[in-house]
Amino acid sequence: MASQGSNERARNLAGGARVAVRALVSVVVGGLSLITILTVGSVLGPMLAMDLYTPAVAAWWTVFTAVVVQGMPFLLLGTLMSAAIGAFVPERVFRRLLPRSPALAVPVAGAAGAVLPGCECASVPVADSLMRRGVAPAAALAFLLSAPAINPVVLVATSIAFPGSPAMVAGRLIASLATAVIMGWLWVRFGREEWLPRRARTATKAPTSGGRWRDFRAGFQHDFLHAGGFLVVGAAAAAMFNIAVPRSVLDAFTGSPWMSVLLLAVLAVVLCVCSEADAFVAASLSGFSPTAQLAFMVVGPMVDLKLIALQAGTFGKAFAVRFSSVTWAVAVVSSVLVGWWLL
Amino acid sequence: MRRYGPASLLILCGVALLRIALFSELYLRYVKPGLRPFLIASGVLLISLGIVGVVAAFRSSGGSGAENDHEHHGAGSDDRHRGEVSGHGHDHSRGPRVAWLLAAPALALLFFPPPALGSYSAEREAAQYAAQGIGTFPALPDEDPVDLTLGEFTSRAMYDSGATMKGRTLRMTGFVTRDGDTWYLTRLLISCCAADARPNKIEIRGADAPATDAWVTVTGTWHPEGELGSDEAWPPVLDATSVKHVKQPENPYEKL
Repeated sequence: MASQGSNERARNLAGGARVAVRALVSVVVGGLSLITILTVGSVLGPMLAMDLYTPAVAAWWTVFTAVVVQGMPFLLLGTLMSAAIGAFVPERVFRRLLPRSPALAVPVAGAAGAVLPGCECASVPVADSLMRRGVAPAAALAFLLSAPAINPVVLVATSIAFPGSPAMVAGRLIASLATAVIMGWLWVRFGREEWLPRRARTATKAPTSGGRWRDFRAGFQHDFLHAGGFLVVGAAAAAMFNIAVPRSVLDAFTGSPWMSVLLLAVLAVVLCVCSEADAFVAASLSGFSPTAQLAFMVVGPMVDLKLIALQAGTFGKAFAVRFSSVTWAVAVVSSVLVGWWLL
Repeated sequence: MRRYGPASLLILCGVALLRIALFSELYLRYVKPGLRPFLIASGVLLISLGIVGVVAAFRSSGGSGAENDHEHHGAGSDDRHRGEVSGHGHDHSRGPRVAWLLAAPALALLFFPPPALGSYSAEREAAQYAAQGIGTFPALPDEDPVDLTLGEFTSRAMYDSGATMKGRTLRMTGFVTRDGDTWYLTRLLISCCAADARPNKIEIRGADAPATDAWVTVTGTWHPEGELGSDEAWPPVLDATSVKHVKQPENPYEKL
């Protein structure tokens, strides 16, 4: 009995000692590694940060911030409009404004793009809310493509960038509108509902008890934050290419007219210059043919990394990939044709 | 955090915009001057909508808390489910996760505003001059020295058949870039934001090169070279009489 008790006590003691030793070891090891990490971190961290903060990184950081800052007011305008459409404009307004048949609604919606004075960041949320309000997807997509390309602000900027060549402005208007309308018709003919997320094609019911203002604010907050997150993704990619692709590389391609059209069409996608500024960039690429410059300005507002990110976030990846690649091809063909005709 | 997160993110973005556009001139490092009113308006709007959002979240925290929590568990990664599902907009209160990326540029603008683009960007891009026809230019103002932008100097040097700059003392401000032994007075030109920056550069002769990226004001006279509009005329040359170190101007870029 006694021996049993002392045995137990001994076992308890041994157990307690083991726990104490374990605790001591873990405190010492943990503490030592913590101290090591802190020391190394505090010594190497700033050194590493200084090493990593090269001029290239600094330039990336600046371009990234610039794209976000520049896109913010337009994104805000777009999401305010889309939230307002969602909360205040009843569906029957669009039913009355747009022709019943999608094939007819497409050109009307494309031409209506002229009234949204913003760059491409604004048009994605607006097109999204149009679809939710029961506008045919084909018409909303035509609007999505044409709005950033043919609004008055952009056309005036184009005429300033290309002084003395009104054909360039006309060419941009015609080629952009043609691309938007063709894409709308292609969607009518070949588009499949399942490429769009479910919510985009179910029409919203009338606002509920909470009141229109509450719906407006909640819708705005969601859309702005959602699209803003994707704007950040797109801006990061754009800044990457902006820093990684030296523009002197382009000089190698200025010789061949076909290559130069394709090259500038690809450049428009990766540089993500805002549609209000792309005319100036196109004008500065003076080694290229006018048709190639036109392709740059037609493709840019419709397909670029920032837009693909925004569309993937809003309409889903399956849609964004198909839609952007086809739009790119249509935009290149229509700018070549219009360039050949007008320029 | 989940309840107040989205609304506070709006406020954060708004505050960042106001910091660079209203309380300082920092926005000029990133965008053209004309965007200022829009940036300020956006900042004010975002802050007010964010405050309304915080108030709304605070009010709704009383009654429907349990319901919201339930939704948080069920919704998973699908932030596409919108008001249509519930009809009440509860899931609006839970912001989309991708939105947190917005915090990166916002915090950067607040605490560590990225610098203006400098020689790194200017040297990476082959400087080009806007093609324009040779013609006459309006006379320069009657000052001495005449303050010019680099863009104006370049177009007059390249295309002015009247040679209005001949014999005049000119003064320009920019930063220093180098190419071997020659150095250039350089200024980036933006038409919308820093993503479309393009360099303008002028070769400076008759003065030792300051450190790369240093901001200087150079006074001197135009040194004509090559035929008007030809490749030899570019980059244009200035014979410097004085090179003075200056602070980086509020607007580090030139507008087209």
